[in-house]
Amino acid sequence: MKLSIHRIPARVKAVFQPAPLDSDLDEELAYHLEELTKDYIAQGFDADEAARLARIKLGGVAQLRELHRETRGIPWLENVYQDLRYAWRGFNKERGFTVIALLIIAIGIGLNATVFSLVNTVLLRPLPFDHSDRLVWITNGSSTKTNHDMSSSAHLVDTWEGLQQTTQSLDEIEAYNPFSVRQTRRLTDGSKPETILSIDVSHGLLGMLGIKPILGRSFLPEDALRNAPDRVLLSNQLWRRHFNADPQIVGKAVQISGQGVEIIGVLPPADAFTSVFFPAVRVDCFSPIKNDIERHWGNTVSLIGRAKPGASIDQVRADLSRSIVELKKQFPQRNGYDATADWLNEWVSEALKQPLTFLWVAAGFLLAIVSFNLGGLLLARGAARRKEFSVRCALGAGRSRILRQLLTECFGLVAVGSLFGAALAGGLTHFLSQRTGVEIPLLQQVHLDGVSLGFTVVLCLLTVVLCGLLPAWSLARHADLQDALKEDSRGSSGGLNQSRTRGLLVMTEVAFACVLAISAGLMIRSLLNLMQVDLGFRPSQVVAVRLDPPSWPGDVYIQSILDRVRAMPGVERAAVTDCIPVERDRSWGIEALNSDQPDDVRMAGAHVRLISPDLFQAMGTPILEGRDFTTADKKESAPVLIINQTLAHRFWPNGDAVGKQVKTFGENSHFTVIGVVQDTRHGGPELPSGNEMYFGFNQVQDANSWDLMIRTSLPVSTIQADLQKALHEIDPSLPLTEVRSMQSVVDLTLSSRRLLVALVGGFAVIALGLAMLGLYGLISYNVVQQTKEIGIRLALGATAAMVQRKIVLQTLSLAGVGVLIGLVGAVLCSRAMQSLLYGVRSGDALTFLGTAIPLLGLAVIAGFVPARRAAKMDPLVALRGE
Amino acid sequence: MSDSNKTKLELLQGTLDLLVLQTLVTMGPMHGYGIARRIEQIAENELLLNQGTIYAALVRLQQGKWIEAEWGASDNNRKAKYYQITARGRGQLEKETENWLRVSHVVHRILNASKRPA
Repeated sequence: MKLSIHRIPARVKAVFQPAPLDSDLDEELAYHLEELTKDYIAQGFDADEAARLARIKLGGVAQLRELHRETRGIPWLENVYQDLRYAWRGFNKERGFTVIALLIIAIGIGLNATVFSLVNTVLLRPLPFDHSDRLVWITNGSSTKTNHDMSSSAHLVDTWEGLQQTTQSLDEIEAYNPFSVRQTRRLTDGSKPETILSIDVSHGLLGMLGIKPILGRSFLPEDALRNAPDRVLLSNQLWRRHFNADPQIVGKAVQISGQGVEIIGVLPPADAFTSVFFPAVRVDCFSPIKNDIERHWGNTVSLIGRAKPGASIDQVRADLSRSIVELKKQFPQRNGYDATADWLNEWVSEALKQPLTFLWVAAGFLLAIVSFNLGGLLLARGAARRKEFSVRCALGAGRSRILRQLLTECFGLVAVGSLFGAALAGGLTHFLSQRTGVEIPLLQQVHLDGVSLGFTVVLCLLTVVLCGLLPAWSLARHADLQDALKEDSRGSSGGLNQSRTRGLLVMTEVAFACVLAISAGLMIRSLLNLMQVDLGFRPSQVVAVRLDPPSWPGDVYIQSILDRVRAMPGVERAAVTDCIPVERDRSWGIEALNSDQPDDVRMAGAHVRLISPDLFQAMGTPILEGRDFTTADKKESAPVLIINQTLAHRFWPNGDAVGKQVKTFGENSHFTVIGVVQDTRHGGPELPSGNEMYFGFNQVQDANSWDLMIRTSLPVSTIQADLQKALHEIDPSLPLTEVRSMQSVVDLTLSSRRLLVALVGGFAVIALGLAMLGLYGLISYNVVQQTKEIGIRLALGATAAMVQRKIVLQTLSLAGVGVLIGLVGAVLCSRAMQSLLYGVRSGDALTFLGTAIPLLGLAVIAGFVPARRAAKMDPLVALRGE
Repeated sequence: MSDSNKTKLELLQGTLDLLVLQTLVTMGPMHGYGIARRIEQIAENELLLNQGTIYAALVRLQQGKWIEAEWGASDNNRKAKYYQITARGRGQLEKETENWLRVSHVVHRILNASKRPA
């Protein structure tokens, strides 16, 4: 019937305004009764009889009121509303409890949902590419995961094309040039010049990954032809930043590094490619790889393939090996090359699997502590309310009614707490996604994950329901309500049971907090160790300034810049290098000519740096033997090079490297070793040094952009302003936008570790806080429970100090057991996280004791506060107290 | 309840709403007591009506906006709530009346038909 549907809003409304509706009805009924009575009197009944008959005719007022209520309202909703109001009253009365419980729920849910969202984005969810489960990373040579040298993982264009033609298990093999993004270009577009990063990709790469431009078109095969005009796709950020999001941009020409380049499209705002392959790098535009030009530049392309549906990784690997054998037969003259594959998603998440799993476990620990803490709080509250329940039971409230009431309270608590938690998680995930300076793939794509949030909310709800209902449940078991009423006043078995359960909870909390704190301690020590690693150069007080002249500018140009910079006030040293440590690297083959070592030692790959004189002084790298380059080492003079310790020791273990000859950079180039310098950690503090060689920038002219390294005590911003003025005369078109402190470049390599340490450290602090709160709460509760006992003891002559000592010892023993369990747990946990540690053993006694002892100290404080309260008690009041 | 009531008819579910609406159409705005008395008069005491239940019917109809209510003064100048049928209520009454007549007609026919063969 239609009536019932129309009535719904009015019925809902009626639930929330019972009082005025009831009084209306009462008035109507009173009037009705009066009229009826008058009628009966008119029929000749006496007043009393008439009133009686009228009441019968009308029906019982109480029943009518009930009927009216049921008709106009929604009975179950009315009950829920009533329960909620009651819950609100209760929570409002116990604000302290409510605020703490809400805070705990919000923190637990907020932090966990954040970590789950992070793990989900980086590790679990498929990569944001089409057919991402079929994409493979094809590396050159053995797939050593720690191999960070791009030259040895990249391929020749010839190999790439060969693989494209001969493999059968792959639909497509596409490429990008990882070196291209290490070189900056200059965008001179009328107004302000800007230093930009461009990456070269094969024309089919974006299509294979499913990345479509939002404006214009993607690359086509003809864009990759040798004579094709230069064309670029803009990143969304560059389009907005430099071109004001001009919707008519497609087809326009701009000047990039002195060349006219046509803009053919704009990519979407979320740059999936960069966030996966170059996290923390701002790629501004994409250019097509022109195979015939790229071909001559050695191992320059990284390969990504898409496996045929159903192909296993072993099949792909076997197929690649077979292709390589075939290619080697066809082209025996080419250098040693190889190919093997890993699933792309595994290759991407490999390095982060361990740290993120660790973070995940840490978050889980925190969630456990949150649950236990919340459980303890609710148990305590329940215990305090036993009397209230007993009274309500005695007054006729059904058990189901009380249970429903409790459930409503639990749901209300979790609902409000979850709201705060969700807000916290939303804020935190947003914060994480804004960390553009952290080298974690896909970090920019992190967003609050509904499933993660739901999971934590449900977990919290379970805890709350379980612990919230436990007191009512134990009450329900007491057949005799009188018992419950009496028991509470005596503070006997039931209360003790409660406090035993809570003792267990608190002990577990302390144990978990201990494990977390020790793990965090180990991580912090690892970070500190890494920050103190001797990099082979001193990054502090070094400023790196990117110079990107349009073409080889000539040594006079660079020399004039150096002269000008060296004359600037506050500049101690200045030099140029084509290869800023940590950030860029490439390697060439080198062969020692006057070495007695076997051939496989005599020939090696080494990192290449093209530098100016004085670079070692500017960087703070000690020269161990021989000399530095000087201005006398000219293009025409005898070719010379400087090698690092490792390489010198490899070729000439007797320490007489200076004066020896090597062959490198072209078939017939012989270079004489003039110096040996200390190793530098070219991959950042966590990676060991390798072979390195340095050439004079004017003898080996093979670089497109340079970094001016300035040793100065001036801040970066001052240097930048001074440089603008000083260099403007030499080259007004120099953008000078890429001015960074060397320390910040080094810090970037530790960025993901720093973030991890910050998160785990934060977890540990919260965990400790919660554990101590739990401990304090329990001891306070126990003291209240034992008021009478303490009173008797005091009356019998126990001193305040004795009472105090007993309570503190009780606390300490609880915490002590927790810490012991925690230490055992930490041993196991730290062993599992061994690979995350640097320079500290997993069972490091200093960290373990340094955590356990302060933890026990905190426990003493947590116990001391209630203990003092107990000791100050007046025995008379305590004994009388009820 | 007295014995004499046994012979009275119990109202079918939902029919009270219909009677109230019809009463309001014939009599114009009325208060609860008036409606109850009018229904009893027409029914000539054949109906078993607990007069108070009329208020549940009134609130139901009011919530569906089939009738509307207003406080006013009674004949003897006492405050009373007056109910009045709305346009929507009139429309619904027509439909419901027709529906009711058809149902009762069909029920009547079937009950008579099943008597014949016996």
